[in-house]
Amino acid sequence: MKLALHDTPNLSLNPKTSLWKQTQKARVAFLYLLPSILLFSVFIFYPMFKTIYLSFFLTDQQGEAALFVGLDNYQDLLTSQSFHKSIKATLLFVLYTVPAGIIIALFLALMANEKLRGIGFFRVIYSSTMGISVAASSVVWLFLFHPSTGMFNRVLNLFGIAEIQWLLDPDWALFSVSVSTIWLNLGFSFLIILGGLQNIDEHLYESARIDGASYWYQLRRITIPMLSPTLFFIITISLINSFQTFGQIDILTKGGPSESTNLIVYSIYKDAFINYQFGTASAQAVVLFICVLLLTILQFKLGEKKVHYQ
Amino acid sequence: MAKKLKWFMMFSSFLCLFLLGACSNSASQSKNNENESSNNSSEDNTEESGPVEVSFWHAMSGSGQEAIEDVVNDFNESQDKYIVKPEFQGSYEELLPKFRSVGGTKDAPAIVQTYEIGTKYMIDSGYIEPVQSFIDRDNYDINQLEANILNYYKLDDKLYSMPFNSSTPVLLYNKEAFKEAGLDAENPPKTFNEIKEAAAALTKKNGSNTERFGFSMLTYGWFFEELVATQGGLFVNNDNGRSDQATEATFNSEEGLRVFNLLNDLNNAGHFGNFGTNWDDIRAAFQTGKVAMYMDSSAGVTDTIKNAPFDVGVGFIPYADETERQGVVIGGASLWMSKGISKANQEAAWEFMKYLQTPEAQAKWHVATGYFAINPAAYDEQIVKDKWAESPQLKVTVDQLQATIPSVATQGALISVFPEARQQVVTALENLYQGGNPKEELDKAVEATNKAIEVANKTKK
Repeated sequence: MKLALHDTPNLSLNPKTSLWKQTQKARVAFLYLLPSILLFSVFIFYPMFKTIYLSFFLTDQQGEAALFVGLDNYQDLLTSQSFHKSIKATLLFVLYTVPAGIIIALFLALMANEKLRGIGFFRVIYSSTMGISVAASSVVWLFLFHPSTGMFNRVLNLFGIAEIQWLLDPDWALFSVSVSTIWLNLGFSFLIILGGLQNIDEHLYESARIDGASYWYQLRRITIPMLSPTLFFIITISLINSFQTFGQIDILTKGGPSESTNLIVYSIYKDAFINYQFGTASAQAVVLFICVLLLTILQFKLGEKKVHYQ
Repeated sequence: MAKKLKWFMMFSSFLCLFLLGACSNSASQSKNNENESSNNSSEDNTEESGPVEVSFWHAMSGSGQEAIEDVVNDFNESQDKYIVKPEFQGSYEELLPKFRSVGGTKDAPAIVQTYEIGTKYMIDSGYIEPVQSFIDRDNYDINQLEANILNYYKLDDKLYSMPFNSSTPVLLYNKEAFKEAGLDAENPPKTFNEIKEAAAALTKKNGSNTERFGFSMLTYGWFFEELVATQGGLFVNNDNGRSDQATEATFNSEEGLRVFNLLNDLNNAGHFGNFGTNWDDIRAAFQTGKVAMYMDSSAGVTDTIKNAPFDVGVGFIPYADETERQGVVIGGASLWMSKGISKANQEAAWEFMKYLQTPEAQAKWHVATGYFAINPAAYDEQIVKDKWAESPQLKVTVDQLQATIPSVATQGALISVFPEARQQVVTALENLYQGGNPKEELDKAVEATNKAIEVANKTKK
């Protein structure tokens, strides 16, 4: 947005015309942008600057900035063990959920893309998790994971395998939450990828078949490259989504046990709305913002080269 | 280049203007609100036609919600000047931030239910009207109420909120499992060592799986606090924060360590079942016979007796062998009156609070939920007597409370950062169950709590 504004006057650079004329295009552009700038300022920019502002303060019980501490909040974070744990848990969580979720969604979409009788039924089933709210499905998973009456432990019992404390053992909790998250996000990824698959020109496959290309060759040489913009989109969205995961954590584990599932967003929530430490919570939010920003930039720099736009 | 800079300046100044606009808007809005509220209150004073309607925010779900709506309906029907509208606002933890966002304005609900550990926070918040001012005005006799409950909510002899739903922890046990293990089902273990012995006898193993654990405790700070208090241990310094602002946590004392050692010994011996931080999970474990003894809130006793397919016994919470039993600290919640709302609304809230203290209302409440009757006269009501005859276990909870020796330990701690302190205890317990060292984990929790207390005290006005 900003760039467009700076550049327009330079494009029509003419020293003789007045400033008013020079800026005409920019002013028109600004008028068009006004509604979104207005909305952004109220809902994004203002809270963002307020967050940065608060991160330099300790807040009182009403959440008002009370004591300026400079960079102390950030310093505390960098030395805090629980924040290190939180970062580690978040990265692990992203690692568990994003690749697995996309690969499974891709697999399901490839199957559902075949032209078979009744395939519509499977498409609906595979994308159905999109229609379930995080809260409702988390409660269902809570029953499945239940330590004494849960289905998973009953199945294990049936086979004589020792029970697993799915949500209570710090070594398993993150895995369990990841499984439910993958399942939960599957519907959305599936739908997007299926949409991408349907957009691929049928003629490409026809020509390939005439040339005698095998299924795998077609997949590698046609499907994946043609699908790359969609995949790139879904990877970016999933990545950001999983950095911001909150609902499942709140319902399934509340950040425990031993802080093993205390993802950054949950930790921010806990600091801000349970402990009323808006200062440290804001500092964490700023750190998270920078992390996601860097990651997204990195992704665009590295990933976009491989993306094949038609 | 210079032009670019100029543009940038212009753009950013626009942005700043918007930001300023946004800020001042909200500021002027809140001023408007204040004006409105003063207008409103004067209006309310002049025209007093029809009943005054006030909202009551509570955090009771399930059968508690039904019971509370029942009691409110009774109040609404008992008179025609006021109408109280109960509104469920999520758990205690969720309700408090909601109240915080409207506290002090005219939109605040007249009556708010807040859990016991939010007491200090509410007092400090400035959003509430101490009920003491109404008690003094009406010369209302609060001595009819249970002294042990009042003790908790009184600070400097001043009552800030009206006690409402009060509970304490009790030991629940499976009588059939006791008989099966050859233990006396009418005589539950009283001390830490007796708990250990009973747990050993009750634990049943089948290969690598434990079919039944002897003992369990919800991973929740409250139970730890109670086990420390019953030994006479303090949670924070300055007489549990009651003689002066607490500055340091003291729960890594001898008493606290004894609790951690008990849990550690039980856990290492394989007699302790860990069912996490969720109340329903541990209750389900007890109902399905996966654990033979556990601690629950007295408010859960009625439901547990009703649902369990076996005979449920109720006992006092255990204390360390080296000490005497001091009793229990009150838990649960109390009702607060908002400040900044109209006089008429406060009046309605006060009437409702007084109604809640009547023996009839309390008797109904006690029978329906298992929470204590704040007014002991309720225990003489016929419906309570009938209920006690039916399930005598309920009486044990009342006995335990009335046997409590008043002291700063059993009065309970007053700190504004209680929620954070509880999280630290929970983390310490979780680490302990994973093989952590009791002393180290406890010290870590105290250190983190101290930091929170320090920050809170620094920012206090």
